[in-house]
Amino acid sequence: MKALIKKFGKINTSVLLLCIIFLVLELIGHRHGETSIEDFTFFPAFFGFLSCIIIFKIGVSLRSFLMKDEDYYDK
Amino acid sequence: MISNFPPGFIMIIGALLIPFLPHIIRQIYMMILVLISAYSLTLGFGIHSTINLMGFDFILFQSDSLTLPFAIIFHIAAALNVIYGAHEKHWKQHVSIMSYSGAAIAAVHAGDLFTLFIWWEATAFTSVFLILASNTYRSYRSAFRYILIQVTSGMFLLAGAIILLINDGSVLLTKFDVNSLYGQLIFIAFGIKAAFPLLNGWLQDSYPEASEIGTVALSTFTTKLAIFCFAKCFAGTELLIVIGAIMTFYPIFFAVIENDLRRVLTYSLNNQLGFMIVAIGIGTELAINGAVAHAFAHILYKGLLFMGMGAVLYRVGTCKASELGGLFKYMPITAVCTIIGAISISAFPLFSGFVAKSLIMSALGKEGLVLVYFMLLFASAGVLHHSGIKIPFFAFFAHESGIKTKEAPLNMIIAMIIASALCILIGIFPSTFYQILPYEINYQPYDFSHVVGQLQLLTFAAFAFICLWHFKIYPPELNSTVLNSDWVYRKMIPGVLMPLLKLVEKMNQKFEEVIMISFSKTKILLSNTMIKNKVFDREVGSDTLIVVQIFTVFLILIFIGQFFL
Repeated sequence: MKALIKKFGKINTSVLLLCIIFLVLELIGHRHGETSIEDFTFFPAFFGFLSCIIIFKIGVSLRSFLMKDEDYYDK
Repeated sequence: MISNFPPGFIMIIGALLIPFLPHIIRQIYMMILVLISAYSLTLGFGIHSTINLMGFDFILFQSDSLTLPFAIIFHIAAALNVIYGAHEKHWKQHVSIMSYSGAAIAAVHAGDLFTLFIWWEATAFTSVFLILASNTYRSYRSAFRYILIQVTSGMFLLAGAIILLINDGSVLLTKFDVNSLYGQLIFIAFGIKAAFPLLNGWLQDSYPEASEIGTVALSTFTTKLAIFCFAKCFAGTELLIVIGAIMTFYPIFFAVIENDLRRVLTYSLNNQLGFMIVAIGIGTELAINGAVAHAFAHILYKGLLFMGMGAVLYRVGTCKASELGGLFKYMPITAVCTIIGAISISAFPLFSGFVAKSLIMSALGKEGLVLVYFMLLFASAGVLHHSGIKIPFFAFFAHESGIKTKEAPLNMIIAMIIASALCILIGIFPSTFYQILPYEINYQPYDFSHVVGQLQLLTFAAFAFICLWHFKIYPPELNSTVLNSDWVYRKMIPGVLMPLLKLVEKMNQKFEEVIMISFSKTKILLSNTMIKNKVFDREVGSDTLIVVQIFTVFLILIFIGQFFL
């Protein structure tokens, strides 16, 4: 654990631990979603992780044509 | 007598005295105005105040189960604004905030479209001074664009109201048909204020240009007034589900690449409005409760986030992610309050966002709108990314910016602590919170599935961000301008129109030259033909004259003959 904290920092390690705890919680209890697709095991976890990566990817790719100089409108 | 006074009205009239009062007494006076205005809410539901002008009954004070939650939160927000802005010694912004809050509260209680129109425009004309208060050339130009768009929205509303009056003879604020012309005009008017896709440019353009106090006030009233109007007049309109889903979706990407943290919050505001619009589009009791609950909670946590960033702006002078970082050790209370706002907006259990958003998600699930449901779920992960993590992380942590500053003024801290406490209290006691919603409700947000599902979604989205940052995949924030729909009227139209005008001018010049040359050439040709070559000589001319004379006589005879035949 100490090595993990040293490598990733306190906050990052705690988030990782929380992730594991919430996965374990699902295995203990029975989780069901608003839609049947959500009922797959660990669906929210996958969805959250992938969404964040997709948002990042699209956001970064949009930089090339949406991002202009700071004084773009003043020119 | 005073309780019959339309709520908010006293705040507008009372604002006229603000310039004449000394600094601290002014704040106390403003708080008293808010309390007097709130006292009117004790009257209960019904029409309490009308005025007859020019043979028309203006319903100034009408309250029902939908107006009450909006009136409550608008008064709370107005009171928080008074506290948050207490350090500002000059009266100008206080007059603006008090009259702006009053106009928005009065608008919520309007019973007909003409009364609504008056307050609708009043919110625009009172709030524009908050943008001008920044005293920069950018804010000056932005304020003009803001007022133009707000007035345009008002004109659509007025046009719709007039057509409705001609058609039905009544302009009562009730449910409207979006398929009618008046319905469409009113829909567009509300849509502009609710920052619909492609009509949203003014929001991201103007709010971040306002003063630190101004943005907090602006974030509360204008857009939520539009949400109230949609809930009142267009609940159950399916088109709103589509528009709302798009609204939750696309601002996320803009927020991710935006550098100005207050502008990031305006994108986030846009995205949150989308949740409310979707719920209004569904139109069931659960969904409308969700929209109202979300608007209520949203005003608090979004206000809190803007307060946090306003405090940073006040102390540091910038809100750019690229220039900030490491402020936690200098502004720990501001940082903690901002984090509470960030956790609330991300909808972590035990915070206000969760108990509000759950209603909307459940309403979507119940109606079987699976695609929209997943769009909103995706947007929820996006909210965590840009508001939950990006805002506090880049302002208070990230890298060491080298900025040395001090904690926000006491009044700002008090306002932030109150807003934070409300965010937590709503999250802990949802059943008490649900009691103020328009419809009776028996809903339990804290069941195992909701809580575990939401926690998994959010912690793994946060974990993804951590991975991107830790492995240095996340690119550094850059000083930049992110193009938005305001680009159309700020760059495209002038960019296309000016060369087009120049081209038309050039063509006109060329055309004139060609015409003049051809005229002179024709003139020469005719004179040559008539005089030099003598084609049209005198004899031909006199023959023609004889024919014309005979024809004239014939016409006169026909004309006279009409009277005798």
